[in-house]
Amino acid sequence: MFHKRKILYTIFLIFIFSFLFTGSATAVTLFNDTIEQGDGYQINNFVIDVTEVFASQEAATLRIYEGESDDDDYVYDPFLSVGDSYEFDIEDEEAEITLIDVYSGVVPRAKLLITVTDDDFINSNTEGVVDGGHSEAEYSLTPVLKISKSVDNDNINVGDVVRVTVTVENTGDGEAQDVVFSDPQQPKFILVDDILGTPGRMDVAVDDSPKKIYVYDLKATEAGTFSLNPTTASFTNSVGETFPEVSSNSPTVIVEATEDLVNATLDINTELDAYSVERNSEIQGLLRIKNTGTTSAEAVTLKLIIPDGLEYTGGDPSIEEISGVPTIYLDSFGIQQEKEIDFKLEAKEIGTYTISTESSYMYDDGVNPELQEVSSTSVTNKIYVTKGEYDYLFEQPVYVYAVPLVIIGGIVGWIYYRHKQYKF
Amino acid sequence: MLNILIIGNGQCGNRILDAINREAFGKKSRLAKFYSQQKYKSNVQTIAINTAVNDLKEMKFTKAKDRIHIPHLHGVGANRNVGKHVFEDNKTHILRQIEDRGNFDVCFVITSASGGTGSSFTPLLVKELKEKHDYPVYAIVVLPFREEGTLYLQNAAFCLRDVRESGVDGIILADNQFLKQMGGNVESAYNGINDMIAKRLLFLLDALDSEMMMVTDLGDFKTVMGGGAGLATIGFYEADTEMPVRTAIQNALSPSGLLFSSNVYDEASRAMIIIKGDKERLSIDEISTEVEKLSSAVGHVFKGIIVRNGELPQVLAVLTLESASELESLYSIAVDAIKHEKEKKERVSNVKEVDRAFSQIDGMDPSY
Ligand SMILES: Nc1nc2c(ncn2[C@@H]2O[C@H](COP(=O)(O)OP(=O)(O)OP(=O)(O)O)[C@@H](O)[C@H]2O)c(=O)[nH]1
Ligand SMILES: [Mg+2]
Repeated sequence: MFHKRKILYTIFLIFIFSFLFTGSATAVTLFNDTIEQGDGYQINNFVIDVTEVFASQEAATLRIYEGESDDDDYVYDPFLSVGDSYEFDIEDEEAEITLIDVYSGVVPRAKLLITVTDDDFINSNTEGVVDGGHSEAEYSLTPVLKISKSVDNDNINVGDVVRVTVTVENTGDGEAQDVVFSDPQQPKFILVDDILGTPGRMDVAVDDSPKKIYVYDLKATEAGTFSLNPTTASFTNSVGETFPEVSSNSPTVIVEATEDLVNATLDINTELDAYSVERNSEIQGLLRIKNTGTTSAEAVTLKLIIPDGLEYTGGDPSIEEISGVPTIYLDSFGIQQEKEIDFKLEAKEIGTYTISTESSYMYDDGVNPELQEVSSTSVTNKIYVTKGEYDYLFEQPVYVYAVPLVIIGGIVGWIYYRHKQYKF
Repeated sequence: MLNILIIGNGQCGNRILDAINREAFGKKSRLAKFYSQQKYKSNVQTIAINTAVNDLKEMKFTKAKDRIHIPHLHGVGANRNVGKHVFEDNKTHILRQIEDRGNFDVCFVITSASGGTGSSFTPLLVKELKEKHDYPVYAIVVLPFREEGTLYLQNAAFCLRDVRESGVDGIILADNQFLKQMGGNVESAYNGINDMIAKRLLFLLDALDSEMMMVTDLGDFKTVMGGGAGLATIGFYEADTEMPVRTAIQNALSPSGLLFSSNVYDEASRAMIIIKGDKERLSIDEISTEVEKLSSAVGHVFKGIIVRNGELPQVLAVLTLESASELESLYSIAVDAIKHEKEKKERVSNVKEVDRAFSQIDGMDPSY
């Protein structure tokens, strides 16, 4: 009886212990398969290389490396017989490698069971068999891009040119790949020279000296204090993980109005392709505007005053007919900006004419708070409209052509009537 | 003034009708319709009916409102059974169009005997007209070239029978085969034949509505057409040089003047002769001798004379036939043609049986 109780007690203890042990051994299996000699298994920064398999001895040498390292720079090199296990720590977790079996052949292989106590820390981009072992492994490194934008002069006058240089540098521990830069347009400045052009997709290695990405010249068109828009870049690391976009600094440029008063001066001239035309023919016109002043013109309005006897028949889409007057309106017209606007006229009546172009615009002279207003009128050379080729036809009294027309009309009408009657 | 209705069925009927309308303009020019008026003495209404819209489109001198298209894909393809169905389906439409033209004194229906549309529409149309109206209806039937094939011959045989049984008041035969001496290509042969028919019909219409010596009129025409076997043909001659009226009459009655091969002295049963020309050129003696010669062989001959100053003699003869040896020979070839078609159809149904044998394995796949 006593004997029986002792047995029960033992069974109970065994049960309790086994429960405790299984509790602590809830490891996650990462790998349970064969690896060829020379290949390795990567877990984040660690690579377990199968260095040599001794098939006849039923054993294998493994080498465990951490990060980029030379062949001799391994951290552990367990020699395992079939059935042996080896444990080591990775990032606060415990990994266990068991040599399940070995196989001979041209390329000998080892069957490994790799477990970890918890796999939450493992990055799936950097886990798995690596052909060629640790020397071929890619690690999840962190590129850190630093973009700097600088100007060669942060205090300029309107109309001056400032050179902008954008460089990039990788201060992280891994190459930045697929780097795509974007550099927004700069309002109030005109891009006058783009020296490097738009960069394509590129890789930026660690510790290279800063690389020039953009070099361009901007011309200031307006006075004020401007922060240049930052250049941004998106990129990944070598295992394809995307990093948050980085931005450059925003250098400030102070643009000062030129000491003297600035003005906008619009040179306006209107030319025609012919100044002596026959009645009913077409005249091509060209209106040229150029701002030769030192600031931009605002609210530019140009009106083509066409005399009776000539008729405006169309032209550039920027021309709008406002109560019969062909009118061009431009919000703003920058320094040295030029524009050509073409239009067409038809000569309606015999006579001598000129076309006036009435212009008005405003500008900020940089001193006075209120806008300055300018208006002027330019006049073309004289246009002579002469008798048209068929004009003599209409010099006869009406009946001279009306009678034959009526007769022809009658005949056509009759033929048409008959045609209709017989047309099936 | 007479009210006359002329209907042209099918391509052949349409084209002859158009030839009549052109002839009525008096000028040969295609543009005549733009500057000229039709010279019908009577109130003549023309109607063209066809299933093939292209045939109707080809007409040039017939007003659009006078062309009735009976939509049925591309004609009826020489199949008279299809043609009959199409007619029945569109009967009310066709008849309404005709009713809209008012009442008539006489009607002519022109068709080929051998096509599909005209040859099947004509008998059915005549039957309808005869049931509704009491004006006489005459069919002008064109017989095919004998070499046009068995299908056409077969159609011609059945069409002629159907027209005769339709209640028609008479059939005027024109025979392409006989008239093909016109020569040239088919197109110009057709045009030549159509002109011959048009000229004769216009002459007849003009005569029926004219002041004549030794009066002949519509009544006489009816009597002539009512004689014989219900078959008739027309002879015509128009002198182009000075010649005795006797010769003109003889020419009109000779094969070269007729629309259908016939020995009129043997086969004609009643006749009507109309002579037109300058009074000086129409010798009553000569006319009497020629007419007597004919009437001694035929029986009664109606004659009429129209005096037209300055015109050379023109002679038109309407002859009803007692017998028509040419028609008999046509029917004997037609019988062969019908047999031939029937055999062909049987061969086709044998082919169908083979198809049926094949169709037993439709949707199956071989298994191995
Ligand atoms: N004299 C003459 N005969 C014609 C003419 N056109 C066709 N034919 C003959 O008419 C017969 C054919 O009949 P069509 O009138 O063409 O046929 P359809 O009535 O239009 O019938 P489908 O075309 O079959 O629907 C053939 O024997 C042709 O030789 C023509 O303009 N003049
Ligand atoms: Mg046809």
